[in-house]
Amino acid sequence: MKPLQKPTLTGICDQMASHDWTEAELDELVDPKLGIITGFQELLEDLDVLRQVDLGATPPALSVQKR
Amino acid sequence: MSDTIAFQDIRTLKALMHSGGITPSELVSMFAERISRHNDVSKAFITLTLDAAAAQAAGLTREDLAESPIAGIPYACKDLFDVKDVLTTAGSRVFHDRIAAEDAFAVACLRNAEALNLGKTNLHEFAYGATGENEVYGTCVNAYDTTRLAGGSSSGSAAAIAFGLVPAALGTDTGGSVRAPAVLNGLVGLKPTIGRVPTSGLVPYCWTLDHVGLMTRTIADCADILGLVAGHDPRDPASVNLPMENYAEALGQDISGLRIGIPVNFFFERSDPEILEALERVKAYLMAQGAKLVPITFPDMEHTRTVSLTVQLPEALSAHSAHLQERGELYGKDFRAGLALGQCLLAEHYVKAKRFIERYRQQTTALFDDVDLILTPATPEIAQKTGTVIVTRDGVDEAIGNAITRFTTFFNMTGHPALTMPCGLHPEGLPIGLQLVGRYFDEKSLFRVAHVIERHDAFSIPLPEVDS
Repeated sequence: MKPLQKPTLTGICDQMASHDWTEAELDELVDPKLGIITGFQELLEDLDVLRQVDLGATPPALSVQKR
Repeated sequence: MSDTIAFQDIRTLKALMHSGGITPSELVSMFAERISRHNDVSKAFITLTLDAAAAQAAGLTREDLAESPIAGIPYACKDLFDVKDVLTTAGSRVFHDRIAAEDAFAVACLRNAEALNLGKTNLHEFAYGATGENEVYGTCVNAYDTTRLAGGSSSGSAAAIAFGLVPAALGTDTGGSVRAPAVLNGLVGLKPTIGRVPTSGLVPYCWTLDHVGLMTRTIADCADILGLVAGHDPRDPASVNLPMENYAEALGQDISGLRIGIPVNFFFERSDPEILEALERVKAYLMAQGAKLVPITFPDMEHTRTVSLTVQLPEALSAHSAHLQERGELYGKDFRAGLALGQCLLAEHYVKAKRFIERYRQQTTALFDDVDLILTPATPEIAQKTGTVIVTRDGVDEAIGNAITRFTTFFNMTGHPALTMPCGLHPEGLPIGLQLVGRYFDEKSLFRVAHVIERHDAFSIPLPEVDS
């Protein structure tokens, strides 16, 4: 997976349904400085690991009811 | 009236009321005076409803007071709960004009039980964060050391009880936002089973993980209040229609023969050694009381924070979409950053995360084939100094919000009931806490074990000296 580039996010936000994010907010996703939650790149890399885990027929979580 | 009354638990206040030692109106006046004295420092309350509480108190009859374990008793709720005709700010400028048309489910239950709501408590904006830092309404401080954080996101609910401004409060818990601030302030915190207390009437943060939570001084008060707010509401799709229970029945039962799971991975790692030592003392005491300690392994903990965030951020964005378009400039910088991240995650990421949550539920439920409860530390660290950004432990840096909720977040995903309580005082003078986790809808076992621990003097901690 290639490192995330700002033009990629700018393109997504311009060309797909999206809220209006400022330049600074998109910069923060590509090169995090605030350290508020997590770096987006770091999250994407972790998600790519998860994507490769085969969960078989496990469905998405719904109500727990009484198990 | 003595300030010591302000630090009594609900059952003690009810007994005093029953003997004629105090009236609901006097209680409201006493707490109102304390709020006027302590709110500037604690920042516990955003909105006060003292006039309404005083009027309600004045109208209570002796029969009303016998109605419920909380009748005539003041409490507070986090400012995510709607209270009819009162502002719900959610700790944000965005909702500076949002007046609730009706009570949230839990608030309505307590109103029916004749509890007296004194106001709405402070929080991290929209519950997005575990430090309780809030640039609009101020940052709640810890009652044991006002240079330290109360913790969040239900920061005001914890501060309100710890500073002796109410004896109980409602909060919300999406990753530990009730359980963590409760123990950081020496209180009991409960996240019931998901679906046990409806979330209808709350400003949502993340529908999949949001829980209503309770904060009290004692286990008995927590059991009593859960018995009042548990129920079914079809407006909350997670709500489960099960019979009501008398949770207080569990109090006073012995724990002989109970199997208590002790995780061998994740939950006792990278923690303050004083916290780990306190947990060792708890384990020894539980064994002495006849419980059997069983080592257990959580199979799949490596990516739990990623999974949680991947569900939280898109759901928060969806919940805030309309307001973001109309009032986007009123949001705080950190919350907007999280929403922007939520915008850029893929649908496949979200669905995969939801499937991981189902796997966590199945794996954790399977652990309860061999144990009746699980014991962990509540937090890996004590309350940190205000302004702390990174916590370093064993050479590993961790964002403070992640550290505070490291041991609690997982059970929001699985939905199992989890209770935190103090079990010692750190040499730095701050409370240390433990967490008990139970089977779905088995809050009674949590209360049973927690009550045994609470009654042992070695685990009790002194009250904070907020009046000196």
